[in-house]
Amino acid sequence: MSFLAQTMRQMLRHVPNRSLLTAGAMRPLSISPVIGQQNKPATESVDLSAIAKDQQKECLSICERINRQVQKSEQGRLFAVVHLCGKQFKVTPGDIILVEGYWPPTIGDEISLDKVLLAGARDFTLVGRPILEPGLILVKATVVEKTLSHTKTHFRKKRRKQYMRINFQRSPHTMVRINSIELARPVDGNGEGESSSRRLF
Amino acid sequence: MSNSHLFLKSGFPRAPLQNGLGRYVCQLQRITLKFCKNNGSSRGMRDFIENHLLDFAKENPGIVVYVKPRRHRTPVLVGEYLNGEREWMSCRNSTQEEISKWIDLLKTQNGSSSSLRLRKMWHTEVPSIQGPWTPFLLRSPDAQGQAYPSAEASKPLDTPQTATEKLIELFRQQQLEAGEEAHDVLNKKRAE
Repeated sequence: MSFLAQTMRQMLRHVPNRSLLTAGAMRPLSISPVIGQQNKPATESVDLSAIAKDQQKECLSICERINRQVQKSEQGRLFAVVHLCGKQFKVTPGDIILVEGYWPPTIGDEISLDKVLLAGARDFTLVGRPILEPGLILVKATVVEKTLSHTKTHFRKKRRKQYMRINFQRSPHTMVRINSIELARPVDGNGEGESSSRRLF
Repeated sequence: MSNSHLFLKSGFPRAPLQNGLGRYVCQLQRITLKFCKNNGSSRGMRDFIENHLLDFAKENPGIVVYVKPRRHRTPVLVGEYLNGEREWMSCRNSTQEEISKWIDLLKTQNGSSSSLRLRKMWHTEVPSIQGPWTPFLLRSPDAQGQAYPSAEASKPLDTPQTATEKLIELFRQQQLEAGEEAHDVLNKKRAE
């Protein structure tokens, strides 16, 4: 089982649909779930706040469980989805990823990948919207190799027009080794508000 | 048109000897610069040796640099790597800047790269941590005991409400409200 650590607003949004969601869970695949179709605005405000409190409590307990697990270092291997040079990679310590195109870091450089979209372990997942707050997850990496790709042939021809071009090109490749992924600080349920000013995008 | 890519070897990204997991080790061990002392095609190479070679050797103490003059032959760069590979590169008529660029490439790569087409841009030893996805993941266990054919399970999830259903719902609501009113009336009477 994976506990989804979500912030309050997200949980609130799911509240009125909770029962429908479980009912639809056993149904076969469909384009759009029941939730979107029969969503009616909840009129009772009193009920909503009570549910919100329940959700908050649940969220806090989930965060607490995650923190306890991390404290005992029982979380096992972490993985993360990082955004690097316009592409997203799912990485775990020891992985190799390749960056295509011009990228300044050179061999031996130790870098930290800051745009973490998602991080998780065996028992929990932290989902960013779109990225996790900076400094929560530390992803460290080393640049291992900078090289050129194999020679790619770019051939164009137009029939009956006496037009033929042939170009050869090699694009730079950078090989990056992921060294470690760590949770830098304990997870708190509502860290969203303070981080909004430090947004990357 | 060239057909060389048809016979190109393909492979997956690998780094030799767990490089970069602890510290990084430069894979280039030896570099040999062969040139002619008076031929014009080696002019760029001679310029490079005069101006930049000492700086390069000082910056990279781990790389052994050999300089080999030979008469009336084209200039050549040869790099030898830790994995035993040897990359040979002709530098005929190339300028000083081009040569420094190529030497930089020889220094930063792990072996000769030109002969391998990469099939993936990612390599991992641990493909899945939370377990691979299956269609039964996060599904209710009731789906296991479902008897087929079942009318309810084979309906699409996103059918809009029909007018008849809407009417029935409205009618039920009215009935409920009426019932509540009746209850209220009853309660009032009881209180009296």
